[in-house]
Amino acid sequence: MTAAMTISLTVNGQTHALEIEPQETLLHVLRARLGLTGTKANCEEGECGACTVLLDGQPVNSCLLLAVRAEGSRIQTIEGVAEDGQLTPLQEAFAAEGAIQCGYCTPGFLLTTAALLSANPHPTDEEITHALSGNICRCTGYTKIVKAVRQAAAKGVQA
Amino acid sequence: MTQEKVIGQRKPRQDVLAKSTGAFVYGMDFQIPGQLYGAILRSPHPHALIRSVDASRAQALAGVEAVLTAKDLPAGLLMPGVVCDQPLLASDRARYHGEPIAAVAAQSPDLAQQALGLIVVDYQPLPAIIDAETATADESLLVHEAWETYQAEEGLVRWRNVCCHAALNKGDVERGFASADEIIEGTYTTESVHQSHLEPRVATAVVLPGEVPTVYSNTQLLYWIRTNVAHVLGVPEEQVRIVPTGIGGAFGSKLYPQIEPLTALLSRVAGKAVRMVVPLSDELLAGVPRHPTKTRLKTAVMRDGTLVAQQATMYLDGGAYTGSTPEIASVAVLCLAGPYRTPNVHIDVYGVLTNKTNFGAYRGPGGPYSVFALETHLDEVAARIGMDPLDLRLKNILGEGDEAANGQILTSVGLRETVERATQAIGWREAAATNRGKGISLGWWTTTLQRSTSEALLDANGKVVIRVGTNEMGTGAIMGGVRQVAAETMGLDVDDVLIDVEDTLSGLWDWGSQGSRTLANVGRAAQFACQDLRLKILSLAEKLLETERERLDLAGGEVFSIDNPEEKITLKALAQLSPEGILRSRAESNAEPATYDKSRLTSCLYPAFHHPSYHCHVAEVEVDPGTGMTRVLRYVAAHDIGRAINPTLIEGQIEGGVVQGIGMALMEEVLYDKQGFRTNINWTDYKLPTLADMPEIESIIVEHPTNLGPYGSKGLGESPALHPPAAVANAIGAATGKRFRSLPITPEKIALA
Repeated sequence: MTAAMTISLTVNGQTHALEIEPQETLLHVLRARLGLTGTKANCEEGECGACTVLLDGQPVNSCLLLAVRAEGSRIQTIEGVAEDGQLTPLQEAFAAEGAIQCGYCTPGFLLTTAALLSANPHPTDEEITHALSGNICRCTGYTKIVKAVRQAAAKGVQA
Repeated sequence: MTQEKVIGQRKPRQDVLAKSTGAFVYGMDFQIPGQLYGAILRSPHPHALIRSVDASRAQALAGVEAVLTAKDLPAGLLMPGVVCDQPLLASDRARYHGEPIAAVAAQSPDLAQQALGLIVVDYQPLPAIIDAETATADESLLVHEAWETYQAEEGLVRWRNVCCHAALNKGDVERGFASADEIIEGTYTTESVHQSHLEPRVATAVVLPGEVPTVYSNTQLLYWIRTNVAHVLGVPEEQVRIVPTGIGGAFGSKLYPQIEPLTALLSRVAGKAVRMVVPLSDELLAGVPRHPTKTRLKTAVMRDGTLVAQQATMYLDGGAYTGSTPEIASVAVLCLAGPYRTPNVHIDVYGVLTNKTNFGAYRGPGGPYSVFALETHLDEVAARIGMDPLDLRLKNILGEGDEAANGQILTSVGLRETVERATQAIGWREAAATNRGKGISLGWWTTTLQRSTSEALLDANGKVVIRVGTNEMGTGAIMGGVRQVAAETMGLDVDDVLIDVEDTLSGLWDWGSQGSRTLANVGRAAQFACQDLRLKILSLAEKLLETERERLDLAGGEVFSIDNPEEKITLKALAQLSPEGILRSRAESNAEPATYDKSRLTSCLYPAFHHPSYHCHVAEVEVDPGTGMTRVLRYVAAHDIGRAINPTLIEGQIEGGVVQGIGMALMEEVLYDKQGFRTNINWTDYKLPTLADMPEIESIIVEHPTNLGPYGSKGLGESPALHPPAAVANAIGAATGKRFRSLPITPEKIALA
């Protein structure tokens, strides 16, 4: 057993002091220690994108990032997206366009898209494809996800 | 014109809010305080004798609370099935790379892994049986030396490594071959592809003395899991509780009891809750992916395009155990026959045992490889006689009232309309640019029947609750489709209907979320329950409003007098005035299966397609002649689904199935080396389609209503995955002038052709 260490993580605007083991990934800390299970787990080697969170506004695979490396950064998870229980226009677009089936990839897609639109509010189809190609969806065939992103962009949504 | 208010509308599904905020609880998010963590030791050999298993050091490790090997199980325990040939843990012989040998439960996942490493197994490796066709030979080594002793379903034709020989014989193929202008032959091969659901397989078992044995599972088929758990625990099925947890994709994979029985036994031994997750590497190593196949086709045709005779022989590689291969073999028979009027047909499908993982149901089992063989072969037939592939099909397809090869008479046939609309949308007759080509594939598919049960009740707030016995797996069939059916029947909007998925103690028996059956059958049961509940509501209102029931109607959450709409009562008021408390109705759907000509089929466990759906896909591709890279530029898919309950959900099924099919066509491949070892067990080496690989898909909904599903709907979920391999292969054929008869059609194969 490795020695525990104490870190401070800022997740969805809240700062947590956490005692963790040095090899714990951010994904593990979010799910197991903070109970934020909206961040999804599967491949744990950066292939599927289900565990995507935003680190200082940039999408990262939380399964590949040691939690200790996230100290001092702003971490946003899917739980921190809706405000006061109100869906953001982007979440609404995903729901309305049928971009959500089983939904296991949805948190990752929503966060990746939010980062894209905040950097580039009116992306071309090529830019959308480039930004979202690191996230796997096995249900939708991507068509409705792209339509939802386009719809959100057309409405001038930034996150 | 129909008067429906909810049917046909793009209504939101019940689960979409929780799924967009991260609040939705999947199996992976479900935990029990104090739970142990299960893990499985798997065979590192494709085929080996097991001389001994010594788990004593694992047993002794602090923090390990249960260890199971074959000798801890009842002697001779074999799992239920069409052929009972599969042990829960391998005892004297390991038959595939990844077969479970032992299982442990420990206080942490790391400890469980450490314990697995302490189990010593003495293997004597044996040569592996890899090729399905040669495994059918009498001199082949046997995967199961005791094959003759296994209990098997009556009527199943099987011998040695052949676990099922399904056959169809119509007319006289030899006479057809003798009389035709041209005879075309070809051999087609396909590789296994994996469901690759985003959420892992996970189960949590609580089997404690004096309590109802309970397993939480993200399965598609609660009642089959119950059968298997009860079997290993040695208790009656009715006393086992399987609780549904949220499903993050399944596609057939989560029909199978891969972990629930073992997890239940571990929990019983440990006396604590045990949670078992299958890591992705194990899932890709030893899941239940699609069957690999090899098919020989021989077709006789007249110069005018009339198909005269067709002979097909398929070797369907079933892997190490029989599993669902026999049923899938007979589905392959029907797909190889296709929706064509060929007068003489002979089809043999051999389900063959080999030293590979047990292949099984992946979206449209029996379908995509059969359709790939038949539909690409038909393009070769068309080329031989100088006919447009579309015209060859239009000349031979079945229509209303026609008889399919198995003798079933077809009604509500929208096939021709799907062909015409899909080909028109893509501009089939327009010439393609250099290095581009168009391809077509069409077919038919079943709506699986069997029993579904549902209960509708009016709660105290005047809302309707629909209780069902099978879970939403992502398609929206239950949380979208069934909800809309119930809302329509009850005269409510979807917001006033709540779907509640129940565990197996509810008695709401259901054949599950599978087989393109969910909306048609679960929806039908819910509709029946709602119709009865509606009558109960009107009977109560009759007394309260003092108006004859025949002169009352129910809409917008109110019962009102047809003659005087001011005379009305809300469902909420009515619910509270009900003298018998909550009004509830339970109903069942168990529709009549399709009839067929029994004399034409042998050993077919799935002998007819019930209330068939019809579909046509067309693809346009561009092939880079230098690199062999294929890009799918356009893809149009037309589906006759009887009646559209929710177009958004239908398009979602079509688009998703097409992309899985394009994956099978161009990149996905479960690889075994020549010794039978699995080699690509991660999503870097097993390639899944990403957004960058995909065109935007155009869905066309065709409606020829049938009298099965609510409001005329037929099954949909599987059929979109049937056609992309054939449509894309035919398009590549048109673009390159070369035929590709083995999947996946990788850039390497094209560049070397």
